Amino acid sequence: MEALQTLTWSDTRYLAPELALAVAAVLLALLDLILPRRASRDLIGWGALVGLLAAGVFVGWHIYDLQSAVDAGKEPIRNLLGGSYRVDDFGNLLKLVFLGATALIVLASLGTVKKAEVPIKGEFYYLLLPAVIGAMVMASSGDLITLFVGMELLSITSYVLVGVRKRSGASGEAAFKYVVTGGTASAFILYGMSFLYGVTGSTRLSDISGALGDALADYRALVYVAFFFMIVGFALKLALAPFHAWAPDVYQGAPTPATSFLAIVAKGAAFAMLYRIFIFLYRAFGSEGDQAAVREDLFLALAVLAAAAMIVGVAGALKQQNAKRLLALSGVANAGILLVPLTLEVNSLHSSMFSEFVYYLIAYVFMNAGAFAVLTAVSRSSGHEELSAFAGMYHRAPWTAAAMTALLCSLAGLPVTGGFFGKLFILFGAVQTKAYWLAAILLATTVASYYVYFSFIRQMYMRSGESDQAVAVPVPTGIVIWLCAAASVALGILPKPILDWIDGIFSLGADFLAR
Amino acid sequence: MATVFSQYAWLVPAFPLAAFAILTALGRSLSRTGAWIATVASLASFVYSVMIAAERLAKNAEDYIGGFAWLRAGSVNLTAGYEVTNLTALMLVVVTLVALLVNLYSLGYMKDDERISTFFSYVALFTASMLGLVLADNLMILYVCWELVGVCSFLLIGFWYRKPEARAAAKKAFIVTRIGDLGLLIAILLLFWYMPGHALDFASLHNVFYAQSGIISTSITTLIALLIFLGAVGKSGQFPLHVWLPDAMEGPTPISALIHAATMVAAGVFLVVRTFDIFAAAPAALDTVAVVGAFTAIFAATIGLAQNDIKRILAYSTVSQLGYMMLAVGAGSTTSAMFHLFTHAFFKALLFLGAGSVIHAVHTQDIREMGGLGSRMKITAWTFGIGALALSGIPPFSGFWSKDAVLTAALDDNPWLFAVGVVAAFLTALYMARLFFLVFAGKPRGDAGAHARAKESPAVMTAPLIVLAALAVVAGFVQTPFSGWLGSWLTGGAEEEHASGLAIVASVAASLLGLYLGWLIYSKGAVRRDAVSSRFPRLVRLAERKYYIDELYDALFVKSLRGLGKALSAFDDVVVDGAVRLAGRSALALGRLNTRLQNGQIQTYGLAALVAAVVLVLAIAGRRFW
Repeated sequence: MEALQTLTWSDTRYLAPELALAVAAVLLALLDLILPRRASRDLIGWGALVGLLAAGVFVGWHIYDLQSAVDAGKEPIRNLLGGSYRVDDFGNLLKLVFLGATALIVLASLGTVKKAEVPIKGEFYYLLLPAVIGAMVMASSGDLITLFVGMELLSITSYVLVGVRKRSGASGEAAFKYVVTGGTASAFILYGMSFLYGVTGSTRLSDISGALGDALADYRALVYVAFFFMIVGFALKLALAPFHAWAPDVYQGAPTPATSFLAIVAKGAAFAMLYRIFIFLYRAFGSEGDQAAVREDLFLALAVLAAAAMIVGVAGALKQQNAKRLLALSGVANAGILLVPLTLEVNSLHSSMFSEFVYYLIAYVFMNAGAFAVLTAVSRSSGHEELSAFAGMYHRAPWTAAAMTALLCSLAGLPVTGGFFGKLFILFGAVQTKAYWLAAILLATTVASYYVYFSFIRQMYMRSGESDQAVAVPVPTGIVIWLCAAASVALGILPKPILDWIDGIFSLGADFLAR
Repeated sequence: MATVFSQYAWLVPAFPLAAFAILTALGRSLSRTGAWIATVASLASFVYSVMIAAERLAKNAEDYIGGFAWLRAGSVNLTAGYEVTNLTALMLVVVTLVALLVNLYSLGYMKDDERISTFFSYVALFTASMLGLVLADNLMILYVCWELVGVCSFLLIGFWYRKPEARAAAKKAFIVTRIGDLGLLIAILLLFWYMPGHALDFASLHNVFYAQSGIISTSITTLIALLIFLGAVGKSGQFPLHVWLPDAMEGPTPISALIHAATMVAAGVFLVVRTFDIFAAAPAALDTVAVVGAFTAIFAATIGLAQNDIKRILAYSTVSQLGYMMLAVGAGSTTSAMFHLFTHAFFKALLFLGAGSVIHAVHTQDIREMGGLGSRMKITAWTFGIGALALSGIPPFSGFWSKDAVLTAALDDNPWLFAVGVVAAFLTALYMARLFFLVFAGKPRGDAGAHARAKESPAVMTAPLIVLAALAVVAGFVQTPFSGWLGSWLTGGAEEEHASGLAIVASVAASLLGLYLGWLIYSKGAVRRDAVSSRFPRLVRLAERKYYIDELYDALFVKSLRGLGKALSAFDDVVVDGAVRLAGRSALALGRLNTRLQNGQIQTYGLAALVAAVVLVLAIAGRRFW
């Protein structure tokens, strides 16, 4: 066993993004205390935005740094604390996604979060920052304990964010449900991790993968228990069917920006952690005999969950009349789609699963951030979140209706949008690895989902609204809406440069399998 | 060699496309301004086209290919690109010029229409897609634009959708051309399948087919060529798919001019010229093109002789002239085909716009109710007369030179084709004389009040007429038997121009004879008008009823297809819809099950999760321990 490596001063440069966010969070908390009671808390929102952007710049610098390491012929990884924290391309790309998504959410909520509803507006903004730190830790750890700590940091701050509308009963109920479900999920995951530690004697992912093959011979049942507990825990976290029942309730009760954060960043971070842990199975287990059988079982379990999530998410959304619950169920279906690449076999023919995942994740970020921003504006003007709030949008806010149409096309996976190509790449992957049944379910649920998303279009274009009053869209929200709509279309027109960029940065072997 | 302007050739379609976007977005609030935006955009693309053409006039101008990789799936590369050659440069100028004049003219013609900005946005999209078609560097992009052109024609022909005839005509145009489109699509798929590297760009097609390297067997080449030609037959209104073109007259007259002169129908001829290498490698296909073209030329001319609607006569004349172009391509002379397309664009646009001016003045399209308009509408009458002379092929008007080039090519190929062409030229002159004299000469017939109120159209409508009339006079001089400038420019000197005395004499004689006979019958009255119809009533009736082709199609295809449609619809209702309903209901049932789970009780959620976890473990891991 190697000696314990402690944090040194020179390591801080690798922790710069996380540190920037931490500093920003502390400063903004202090600012919230100092500011007079009546002063607008929007200032803190802008501050949070600056912090996020600064962290994003640091991540960009890391990507560049690692790229030059590759050019110099070195491994593109920086290990901190003996490998429990690692800066690699997988983590960096996802960090960029998380930071960008959170920035979009903050921007969209500036001007739409009302003080009457959220009395602790300042806290709302600066609590997002530690939540993102948690997400970044989840994307960037090589050790079970660090991963778990990151997850808890994200979860606990999210619990608060969900309950931030203190005076609303629904918000409180949602927060309570989220705490209970989140706690259950954490318990499952932690219990699974403890078994994994028990059979392999390490919490370091690279050591576990080395020892797992031998452990399997002696403790096959325990290995199954360890991984299935983790799978169930993650299924709860990701709201995969049939572990999804909490999601619509929580999404509905939470303030819309917090919902957006749960749907995008919290989900993305859980995916990051899931990919981190499960991709090691390929190194841990050989491709023959008992080991291959166990590996196949575990990925089959994930595939079944993905399929169930796609089917249940779409079917549940068919008759849904509440826009937020509808988007929650659409999130369930999308979680299923995002899980598909992981379940596909990695071999010489198919090694692009990460690109497929990240491409669709990026498309997913834009279409959801945009749709939730539209929902924020619309529900603010009509006072409720039913689908009928969108009625007559084409006449009341034609530009926003047009942007929403682009976002819906992306959600439904119609060309030419990011959602279309994201699904297409995943579909190609599924067909390449001969997972035809998954491909068929993906196709069938996509077709059925047109019905779901067209219920928005029907309302916007074919129903007359309760009033002819124009929908007021605050400028920052409008910027987010258009940014997301434009990005969704741009991803559809130029899928190749982005895919090439991801492929160019990322290599499966170096990022996951190198020590 | 400088390719400064050519590099940005994509700007040419971009201008009208932008106008379309602006008008669509802001249409309702713009109204008249929108029309001007579209006109300025078409002016911009015309000016830019002229600059490109001017650049290419230099000796040995290099072809420019630009674009970007659009999509890569496996080994297949799809590019979206454009190619500037002398041929495309010529087409750009023709299309943008006619589009510009049609835009200007429509400012007057459509002035009182309440959907004027919609009209101009459609015209802009129409122009943009035609320009895209011209610039496309591969068949895929060409096909996309080809279909866009079809959609726009549907929208514009049915623009006055309150008229049932307009709706029917729009549908007919769309469906009939779709038959041809299917042929083109299959041809593209075949090419995709057989071409090395799945290349669909024209440069690769040229390399494969021009050398006749035998990569693709002759029978397949012939099949591909015939299928491409089927696409051209549909778009360019060749027999037997010509039936949509005359009906398309239900659209606003400027649209007739646009469709007939420069955009839609020219697309078919352009396609065949662009893919000529394929045809050249398949002699049988080439002969088919020539025969179909010749037959269409004479066939449509006889129908044109018996029509009474001013626009329908011009429509059949278009069909007939397109037949000439196909005849020229079939005879192996792409230059004379493009030359005839070039001159025809001007005088046919002129004739249509002139006809529009007449209709605008007297509010009828029936030539039997006109007459004597020459004194009231001087500019229209003079310019129309010039157009008629050009179409009839009287020297020195442009139509003479191009028709002569076509006939010379036909004579080289096959004397029979030449004979048919000469007879068609005679008929052309005859029906144009009939049209001109009945409308502009003689005494007013029909409603006297309407005639008295008839006055010259506003300047915005007559100015395009004058410009086009000037072009109809001079455009022919780019290619004469004495100097084959156009030919050597288009083909890089490959095609030699040779005069044929016989062709010149025969075509001039036939045209003059036609004009003289027309004058005798319809102006001087020396020959009784019913001289033919009283002796051969059935023959005239046959031509008047357009050889009963529409009725034949109705009985053969439309009725039987309707029957099939009904049977299929019954099948659809019971079996397919049944299956769909089943799928829909089961999805909804699943949704309801989900709702039942979703009762708001977190205890239920926890229980569901636990049960699901146990089932998952037992089903997947459990089977290993059984």
